[in-house]
Amino acid sequence: MSAGGAPVMSDRRHFFRAFAREVTKLGVSAGLLGGFVALRRGQAPVAGVRPDLGIVRPPGSLAEPDFLARCIRCTRCADACEAQCIRLFGAEAGDLYGTPHIVPEDKACTLCLACTATCPTEAIVPLTSAEQAMTPPAKMGVAVVDERLCVSHAGTGICGACHTICPFRNRAITQSFRNAPTVHAEFCTGCGLCEEVCIVKDRRAIRVVSERRAGQEA
Amino acid sequence: MVRPSTIHVLRRSTQVLVLASMLLVPALARYQNYLAAREVDRMIERWEGTLPGATLRGIDEVIRRLPGTERERAGRLQRDRTGALAYAQQLRGGPWSIEIGSISMTDPLAGAESIAASKRVRRVLLVGLLLPVVATVVLGRVFCAWICPMGFIFECTDKLRRVLRWLEIRPRNVRASRTLKYGLLAAGLLVAFVLSTAVLGHVYPPAMLGRELHALVFAIFDRAEIGRRGLWIGGLGWATAALALIVLVEVSVSRRWWCRYVCPGGALYSLLGAARPVRVTLRADACTQCARCVRACPMGLNPMLDQMGMECDSCGECLASCQDDALGYELRNPLAALGRPVIPREQA
Repeated sequence: MSAGGAPVMSDRRHFFRAFAREVTKLGVSAGLLGGFVALRRGQAPVAGVRPDLGIVRPPGSLAEPDFLARCIRCTRCADACEAQCIRLFGAEAGDLYGTPHIVPEDKACTLCLACTATCPTEAIVPLTSAEQAMTPPAKMGVAVVDERLCVSHAGTGICGACHTICPFRNRAITQSFRNAPTVHAEFCTGCGLCEEVCIVKDRRAIRVVSERRAGQEA
Repeated sequence: MVRPSTIHVLRRSTQVLVLASMLLVPALARYQNYLAAREVDRMIERWEGTLPGATLRGIDEVIRRLPGTERERAGRLQRDRTGALAYAQQLRGGPWSIEIGSISMTDPLAGAESIAASKRVRRVLLVGLLLPVVATVVLGRVFCAWICPMGFIFECTDKLRRVLRWLEIRPRNVRASRTLKYGLLAAGLLVAFVLSTAVLGHVYPPAMLGRELHALVFAIFDRAEIGRRGLWIGGLGWATAALALIVLVEVSVSRRWWCRYVCPGGALYSLLGAARPVRVTLRADACTQCARCVRACPMGLNPMLDQMGMECDSCGECLASCQDDALGYELRNPLAALGRPVIPREQA
């Protein structure tokens, strides 16, 4: 093959093509493997499903079986959210995939109600005032105080952060001696601002409890 | 008459715009959040030289140039937060369901499934379905060719198939029955009805891609907020793996297998657009039977024979390929289209 110009050319081209082919095969295999490993490593346990606390949905959300039936998993509520507290479940959450939820200790709802206005299917029913979020099923949940963890209740300090931030101060949360908070469930929307600001950071002394549970949809 | 090359450029621009908007909308959502919290400038400064920082700066530069977003105070120009917010909060969602200002548009498949699962019809949903349904009834499966981000990705992977052919790794072209997707659509809606939950929306590629890109953008900003840098794929989940698999099969096994045989959305648009008045039409006297259009058609149709029935997504590639000017979009009596064979045979 060494004699003559043309055969060398074609030989060289053939070699280059074969080389490129093997590189492509190797690259695709490595890419697939790497992607799979990266996905496995990147997978967090299903965030937002707190077995003991339930799933916190945006204000105005329908009760659970109806919500899953009507929600089209479109991301519009999460885009509208002024506080950017609405998260969307990933595919690893199974039937909850793509549905909105709130993790109050990270970011709580400020009751801007933009999500209720944009929902294309009224899975989140439009609310015109924050007060409307006080009655179930529009309620996100109810804040519950753990008196052993709360510094004001335990007597290790004087706090009152939850009372100060509460949008329904003196109705949903009232204070007693040393600013110890008491939650009045009938006025609490479950927005979770109290949980977000709670100074007990490891396990918040006030947490939003929702009656929505994962696997309740059937 | 619009020239075929113009149609091609218009279509490509629309596709790129849709894909870009799927990344822009979640970024805009974060921007309005920082704006509302009076933190935009601080965030831009803090994230200088990183992707989220550059994104915020870009959005900010554009919004500040719009009228009514700055006002004068004490002789200096200041940001008018209310004015800027009004712009930043105009876009929500993606191709699956989008709200532009107060105009809501929802994918007919999303609407059909929501109605089937909830057994309720809400007026907001009908209003959102109006524009897409009317567009599909008049123009046919145009969503697939003009908007669907997966359709765009498949057109890009067509080029990859050519590279593979050059490498002498012959991509296969397995064929199946086009009627399959209608069965899958019916089955999916039935399952949604029985289980009272979304099924098709979970596996519909453009909706999956929208959610994955959304999660990716949000994850990048979430990471930046806790002081970590870099593009993080932790926001991506198993849906990305499913999409990668669909694309892999597209490249190596069967061109447009999803669109032709599986896609429940495509099936619904085909049905809605079955009697559309606007369609690609052949002028038989001008046609020289060169079959360029047959090779050009991504959906594997034969523009020389089958009258462009409900499978055609009006992409216009056949128009661009035709050297005799024998093909064009024409307005026809919708009733004349009934009674014709609507689901053509595969053309290899």
